[in-house]
Amino acid sequence: MVHLSGIAVQSRETVRLSLESLLARKLRTALTVLGMVIGVGAVVLLVSVGQGAKNYVSKEFESLGANLIVVQPGKSDKKTHMGPPVGAAQRKMTSADVAAIEKKALNLEAVSGLILGTVSVRHAESISNITVFGTNEQFPSILTIVIGRGEYFSREEDEYGRRVVVLGSNVVEELFGDEDPIGRSVKLNESEYKIIGVLAPMGDKLGLNFDELGFIPTQAALKLFNEDKLFGIRAKASSRVGIDDAVAEITEILKERRDGEEDFTVITQVSMMESLNTILSMLTYVLGAIAAISMLVGGIGIMNIMWVSVVERTQEIGIRRAVGARRRDILWQFLAEAAGLALLSGGVGVGGSVVITYILHYVFPSFDMRAPLWIVVPAFCLALVVGVVFGVVPAWRASRVETLEALRFE
Amino acid sequence: MTLLSVERVSKIFTRGDEEIFALRDLSVQIDAGEFVAITGASGSGKSTLLYILGLLDRPTLGRYSLHEDPTEHLNDDARAKLRNTFMGFVFQSFHLLPRASALRNVMMPMVYAASHGNAISEIEQRRRAQEALRVVGLSDRQDHLPNQLSGGQRQRVAIARALVNSPRVLFADEPTGNLDSKSGREVLAIFEALNAQGTTVVMVTHDPSIAERARRRLTLGDGTLIGDSRAV
Repeated sequence: MVHLSGIAVQSRETVRLSLESLLARKLRTALTVLGMVIGVGAVVLLVSVGQGAKNYVSKEFESLGANLIVVQPGKSDKKTHMGPPVGAAQRKMTSADVAAIEKKALNLEAVSGLILGTVSVRHAESISNITVFGTNEQFPSILTIVIGRGEYFSREEDEYGRRVVVLGSNVVEELFGDEDPIGRSVKLNESEYKIIGVLAPMGDKLGLNFDELGFIPTQAALKLFNEDKLFGIRAKASSRVGIDDAVAEITEILKERRDGEEDFTVITQVSMMESLNTILSMLTYVLGAIAAISMLVGGIGIMNIMWVSVVERTQEIGIRRAVGARRRDILWQFLAEAAGLALLSGGVGVGGSVVITYILHYVFPSFDMRAPLWIVVPAFCLALVVGVVFGVVPAWRASRVETLEALRFE
Repeated sequence: MTLLSVERVSKIFTRGDEEIFALRDLSVQIDAGEFVAITGASGSGKSTLLYILGLLDRPTLGRYSLHEDPTEHLNDDARAKLRNTFMGFVFQSFHLLPRASALRNVMMPMVYAASHGNAISEIEQRRRAQEALRVVGLSDRQDHLPNQLSGGQRQRVAIARALVNSPRVLFADEPTGNLDSKSGREVLAIFEALNAQGTTVVMVTHDPSIAERARRRLTLGDGTLIGDSRAV
């Protein structure tokens, strides 16, 4: 008990001394801490930005439609999650493939062919160039497209290749201004199309601005682009757990139609997201590691000032030793001071950077870069460790000071 | 009873190839309760002797015993403990911590008592420090920083610090060297009072008028004892 209370008395004294010493030189303390604060802050901020990017990508993928399955013609030899090189197909992918999948697959909620191209769209004197998607009537549910006015085309309109078009909100605004476009005609290249629907404003999704697009039936698109094959097939699994079964089904159906040859690639939104996440994680770690180097610089700053502090207080060390301080009492005193600096840097650095990430999230709500706990805690601990490690050498030096010489030191 | 015993002690410094004897084959014994002044010219080795007696320095040759226990085998922690519990120090230039109040300065030796297995609660530390300041007549100055005190007051704070752990021996190195004569007399009066209560006092001084106040006077010259006289 006596021993325990002795430790308590002494640790309180050690903490008090280090606080006094740090507070006595406020400006120096602040400047010393600054280097480390920037280091810790950089680690937290950069990792948070990386994490924010991951969150953003995940959210975008989710908003494109959960359970999305992408089928592209062609097969790359190397394993990839990003799809085959465009134009690597041996065999055409056609509407008959889509029909077969629709007929046989059990785990799909929707499936549509997709062809795309750029056309000029004209109304009276207004003209603009837009990307047009040729799809069937199921496409809106695959990519969670929301119709603002009118409607998407029907199965019949798709099958017969009717010349009807659904336009993005910006396209309509550009061509018609405030007028109601439903039922009006526009010219896609030289063909006349009737507007039957307008998308609700959707904005960017993974770099694709839905407000600048047009959608027409697959058969109409094949004619418009003078094509006989699809760009690809898009499908939606009926559930997230069923997505692997859906992929297997699609693969089986298409292989059967190709004499067993697998000259196409089926990828899921999940696998695309995972590979992107892997890249972003790597990036995050690399950024964090680079920032951690700046913590090292901060640590050297602490060591430098601790060294100065030891020299400045040589006489104090001598006095303390003369009245009975052991070497290790002196060691602890200076180590506590270094730890105090590190604690302060870690606290301010982590606290400040966390506040910054929350402010940024408040200003840009779509980009959630709020600092994750899994970096906040290690960054703080790392600051503490670096500070103490760099404090050890000066503190040890202080404890080795010869009492008599220290007393005579002016 | 012999309290401090120095037998054939030499302290040798080397400067380049040259060996300098600060102390040469010196022997002396000091009994408990004595009031000893060590005098001698500058460079005679009197401060070196004091620091060896105070366990702040080690002799190159010879033996120093405390209470007839030899000290040469004592490790650093054991020497720190003896300095903390058995001895008190007063220095010419006071050696107070500039950022600590008079009270905090006096409390410092008690803080380190905990290092030597003798923890004292903060309340008790405060009480004893206040008592020590009362003994040296500075009760009304306990919250002053050293630079708010006169030289004489600073030295009295240093004395309070030296006696707060109730040491057996008080070592003083030119305690009046930086003081005016009035303050010097006050400091000596405190030493005399402490000695009267049984504390052994060993004081280095080059001032004959100060040395006269001691009951025993050791005179050093070139690192050897050239005089040992007692007041009658």
